[in-house]
Amino acid sequence: MKRLIILSILWGALLHAELLNDSTIPNLSFKILDGGEVSLDELLKDGPILIDFWATWCAPCKKAMIHLERFQQKYSKDGFNVLAVSTDSPKSLSKVKSYIRSKKYSFIVALDPNQQIAQKLNATLLPTSLLINQNKEIVWFHQGYIPGDEVEIEKQILAVLDYKKAKVKSE
Amino acid sequence: MSFSGNVITRIGETRTGYYYNESLINNQIQFGRFNSWLQFEFSDPPELGRKFNGLRKLRLEYINGPLQINLGDMYEIWGRGLILNSLDDQTIDRDTGIRGIALKYKTDSFNIHFLTGRNDFSFSTIYSPGYDSRVPNYTASHNIYGANTEWLINNHLAGFTFLQSKELHPVNTFPVDTLDIKNRLIGAHYIYNNSFFDLYVEYLKNWSTTLNQDKNKYDNHIDGRGFYGNINFYFSLFSINLEYINYRFGTLNPTNRWNNVDNYGMSLEFQNPPLANLIHSTTLLNRVSHQTDFNNEIGYKLDILGSITDNYEYLGSVSQSSRSHSWVMNDDYSWEKEGDYARIPLSKPTATPFNTIYGEITGYFMNYALHLKAGFAFSEDIIDLILYSKTDTSKSLNYTYQSAKTLPLHTTYTFSNGWSIDVKIETQWLKKGLWRYREMNGTIIADSLISEFYDENGKQIDIQKNTFISMSIGKTPKWTVAFTLDNTSISEISFGAPSDDVKTSSNSLEDFLGLDRDKNWVNIEFAYNVTSSIRMSLMYGSLKGGLLCANGVCRFIEPFDNGFKMGLTAAF
Repeated sequence: MKRLIILSILWGALLHAELLNDSTIPNLSFKILDGGEVSLDELLKDGPILIDFWATWCAPCKKAMIHLERFQQKYSKDGFNVLAVSTDSPKSLSKVKSYIRSKKYSFIVALDPNQQIAQKLNATLLPTSLLINQNKEIVWFHQGYIPGDEVEIEKQILAVLDYKKAKVKSE
Repeated sequence: MSFSGNVITRIGETRTGYYYNESLINNQIQFGRFNSWLQFEFSDPPELGRKFNGLRKLRLEYINGPLQINLGDMYEIWGRGLILNSLDDQTIDRDTGIRGIALKYKTDSFNIHFLTGRNDFSFSTIYSPGYDSRVPNYTASHNIYGANTEWLINNHLAGFTFLQSKELHPVNTFPVDTLDIKNRLIGAHYIYNNSFFDLYVEYLKNWSTTLNQDKNKYDNHIDGRGFYGNINFYFSLFSINLEYINYRFGTLNPTNRWNNVDNYGMSLEFQNPPLANLIHSTTLLNRVSHQTDFNNEIGYKLDILGSITDNYEYLGSVSQSSRSHSWVMNDDYSWEKEGDYARIPLSKPTATPFNTIYGEITGYFMNYALHLKAGFAFSEDIIDLILYSKTDTSKSLNYTYQSAKTLPLHTTYTFSNGWSIDVKIETQWLKKGLWRYREMNGTIIADSLISEFYDENGKQIDIQKNTFISMSIGKTPKWTVAFTLDNTSISEISFGAPSDDVKTSSNSLEDFLGLDRDKNWVNIEFAYNVTSSIRMSLMYGSLKGGLLCANGVCRFIEPFDNGFKMGLTAAF
């Protein structure tokens, strides 16, 4: 009986899970790798952002980041930015900057060592990516990384950029 | 107002009767300047821990410009966690969260953080009655208050921390007595950043006092100190990273080293400082992880990390650690310290040293379609000192020893139509057992390892060869299927003799593939992204138990024999 109740709750949650899309997120503040803090409002000033939760010990995260850097370079002129949030605890925190510098990544890197930002954005798995439009709405949410996912990521970035362009035109 | 959350469910059942069923439902609600977090748990029983049904965690946050007030369950890190690093790590059932109230005031150049609350920390220990590897049998409670403040001036940041806990600590007396302990920690940290290098240093001192029998005065019990330093140098395509730890919160003798029930007032549960060894995420390397002694460990780790071109990365790491001094037995076979406190790790077996080297190279080819990673690790760990006695003419030394050579390999190929193949092969040669050394009148009469590995005929075998193979096929963005084989050449004696009952209980993947079930653990897992925010996984088969380490803390996990596991993660 208990199992049935739990499964019912789960399936209830599943049916409503799509509600995530278009839900807004609070104006969070991110601690930046090079020091200082940046708010979500500031990050969204130029255009949509993709928030990617990762860690130095997470192999699929690193594979995904190669493509995120490509998207950062390709679409930053359109106002798009990537924010890579490291969830490394103090045990591996010292390697974050070394890794980013050695790969010459140009996107912004934030630190979330006690995973409180990840918790607020429901990032329970690594990597988790959230595409946020300028209205602070989550337009796409993705968990895990299967090689080839970058095609879908780019599709979603283009969709949100098209929406932005259409909005600018109509204004 | 916005509302979001997630559901995490894990269900597992084996044919041998092992069962768990746990769900966590997290809710976040934001309204104006308020944020709330509620976490419900329904578990009967959970995979690890006590069963629980109801509201597990709650927190209300109020944020107004530089001011933040938190009420409820908090997970905080001050500095690098030498004084406070509370976390909820479900994989090893370690929850050091604090339920209370916190006030933070933050500007660009200054921040201050006050916190007060209660932490109840439960864990499984053989040093308390009723040991169960899945369910905690011991709880210590702390009433905590503290403050952390930081100033930033240009590239310099200085911080000061104070924390006091009043601890209720049950000890093994009959009837069980609970000690009233006051722990005080005071620390300072300093950070310097520039484009060429950055520096982090943190020092802390701790004192603990216990309430006397008349309950009118706290008597001094123990004091200790801890230091952590990290310096990173950045060059154009590589960086050098050096970390040093010197933790001396309590120097327990080798027999008592892991008994944190009868020994108290030293390293506290909500402290969780950095390590001096690399954290590995591959299966076999994780199983030979070094268990840091947070009460007494001195060590360093040197990493070189870089890229050769855009397509090649490398990592080299050397680390070494030991106790702050060595131990020797006196005439009545009780332990005493030998020598002065060291500042660099000792290599003498009587200081239970650990050392490891690791190298890894990663390459991306064919426009990133092909990924290859190869590594090599060697580690040598003196886990516990059992005996060390010496006279003018003789020396006897026994210790538990483990050394491992491990080769992790990983490759992925992504096809242009969205299919991908991923293969991981990890091979390990492991030596483990009791090292015995005897010297008489200057002549060595024994200096060898008594292996803990035996074959089916009872013959002692020096090296256990372990192989972990995982092959998966995936189709973006929907699904992956992974087949995993975890093989060992020799059964470990700690697992006991093979059981005929288990063998006849049936239909396992090992039987289907004609593999020996005592040496192979096989499973197949299907993961499916139902939508972009719902992911489910279903596994059938067996998982080998052993040491599982997360965040530098290790615990022994029982094997999972021939059963199903279902996992579901949905964000809403």
